[in-house]
Amino acid sequence: MPVSLADILALLPEILLSLGALLLMMTEVFLAGARRGYQALLAALFTAAAFAAFLAQRGGGPRVLFGGFAVSDGFALFAGATICAGLLVTVVLGAGFLAPRSAERGEFYALALLAAAGMCLLVRAEDLLFVFIALELMSVPTYALVAYLRTGDRPSEAAFKYFLLGAFSSALFLYGAALVFGATGRTSLSGIAAAGGGKLLLAGLALVIAGLSFKIAAVPFHMWAPDVYEGASTPVTAFMAVGVKAASFAVLTRILVTAFGAPALAAVWQPLVVALALLTMVFGNLLALTQRNVKRMLAYSSVAHAGYLLVAVAAASRGFSGPSARGEAVSSLLFYLAAYTLTTAGAFGALAALERMGPDPQPWDLDRFAGLAKRRPWAAAATAMLMLSLAGIPPTVGFIGKLLVFKAAVDAGLVPLAIAGVLASVVGLYYYLRVVVVMYMQPAPLGSVPTPASWPLDLVLVATATLVLLFGLAPAGLANAALSSTGLLGG
Amino acid sequence: MTEAVLFWLFAVVAVAGGLGVVLARDPLHGALSLLAAFFALAGLFLLLAAQLLAVLQVLVYAGAILVLFLLVILLLDLGPARAAASPPGVVKLAGALGALGLAGLLCTLFLSASFPPAVPPSDFGAVAAVGRVLFIDYTLPFEAISLLLLAAILGAVVVAKGKV
Repeated sequence: MPVSLADILALLPEILLSLGALLLMMTEVFLAGARRGYQALLAALFTAAAFAAFLAQRGGGPRVLFGGFAVSDGFALFAGATICAGLLVTVVLGAGFLAPRSAERGEFYALALLAAAGMCLLVRAEDLLFVFIALELMSVPTYALVAYLRTGDRPSEAAFKYFLLGAFSSALFLYGAALVFGATGRTSLSGIAAAGGGKLLLAGLALVIAGLSFKIAAVPFHMWAPDVYEGASTPVTAFMAVGVKAASFAVLTRILVTAFGAPALAAVWQPLVVALALLTMVFGNLLALTQRNVKRMLAYSSVAHAGYLLVAVAAASRGFSGPSARGEAVSSLLFYLAAYTLTTAGAFGALAALERMGPDPQPWDLDRFAGLAKRRPWAAAATAMLMLSLAGIPPTVGFIGKLLVFKAAVDAGLVPLAIAGVLASVVGLYYYLRVVVVMYMQPAPLGSVPTPASWPLDLVLVATATLVLLFGLAPAGLANAALSSTGLLGG
Repeated sequence: MTEAVLFWLFAVVAVAGGLGVVLARDPLHGALSLLAAFFALAGLFLLLAAQLLAVLQVLVYAGAILVLFLLVILLLDLGPARAAASPPGVVKLAGALGALGLAGLLCTLFLSASFPPAVPPSDFGAVAAVGRVLFIDYTLPFEAISLLLLAAILGAVVVAKGKV
């Protein structure tokens, strides 16, 4: 099968991201000077170009690329654009966070771009073999990014923990893929769907779900998340919470719906996903309740959000709902991913803006937010908006996302799960609003040194908060885009 | 007959080598057991008429990767593992039970499954056939793996370089 130019052009976003990574590595060799601000600009330009390439490719029908390893369909394009948006926020966060710590290097952006290339390949992978390669291309640079900024012993510990558990989860996935291959003789998702198989296929399915559950940090596979999220430098945490999660959810959905979408198989995995969703929503929110450390609180909150996203995945099982209900569920997943990306990336930006230089025993304590409304009213307002969106309160995009997900669950006949989700989000209100209360109601503790403002971080805060409000007030555009992006090849 | 004898020979050596890696106290002995397992695996590949794979197995794994392992072990001057923190008996028991249960589950699964017979092409394992598959049929995974290797090298440099 010869490679056609059209196939290569379809991979333009990934090519742009890789090219940007190569160029940034070269700048570190040839242009390394004291001033490295241009590196962030370069990374942002390539990311924006990849984002634009994803948008420009919309509208075409689904296509198989390179003889069936990857596809170009609406689902992949929407998820890819979401990942690029998350990367863009990460790059700006990195610029604002690393430059004052004189830790800005081309390698940081190159690793982030390479990881994003892996994520974009992951969301369009149509073959278990290629899923694994893309999964590793996403994970390996992320392990290194966690270890990028090493002050104290926390980052090294976090990186090692993430590396070990990440390798373990990849091995689980790989073993599952091998069992699936053994049962069906195929690795392509559509081929697996056509072949079917017995108990061996089910064992493979369970292992594939377990492996990806590590990546999305679903309970009971979430143990690593708080430690790793806390230990990594804040821009990297944002990237992990946003990019890795979005890409892993996209590929999980694609595998479940395309390869295991037959009613008999969906009847097996839907209860599994429902159980995971229930556990993740309940425990994610309950564990976040007790955290005074805002970074750990956001880590548990991202676990809880994985639960809401799993509700959408459960609703997308074809065995119990018609094709239109499945389209609704997939579109609600995509919308939620976009909303979650914007909000979470912004929330970690708020954290990065308050973090002090130098050693600090409790850098992310809730007290850091005290009196913020007096000192920096705009930053406080933006943070409050982001917290409201995380909690799912109107008029923010987080509310619309939850609404769409729970509506899809009800339409798919999962009413108890939707009710559990609503109750879990009510619990979530407490710890999100506590941040807002501390910002507006409590005076800054005596003798505290305010963190100097940094314009890239403020830009992230204001831009994400504005978009969160904008998409919350006028969600139709984004929702329609998500609705027209549910075309999963072969699904 | 010879084929069966050779298969059992290689299979036993491969499994024994794998056990040695896990059980050896001295990392050097573990690495040497791994070497034995690699060679036995190369022999199994030869029995399957995959000559290129067998040669690569010896060249890359036994030749390059294992030498790297040995170098690292010698550089770090790792002695035999100190029997410091042995896990409590309950953990050991749970681990053994879990492993046995998993082994039993997998055995029943594999014995109950029917595998479709594989029909290898006539030029299976030859260099030309592998090259065609690698560079034409599997272009995209091949290119993605080269990106992955680049990312791994870059990541290793970032981690190994001094603290930023």
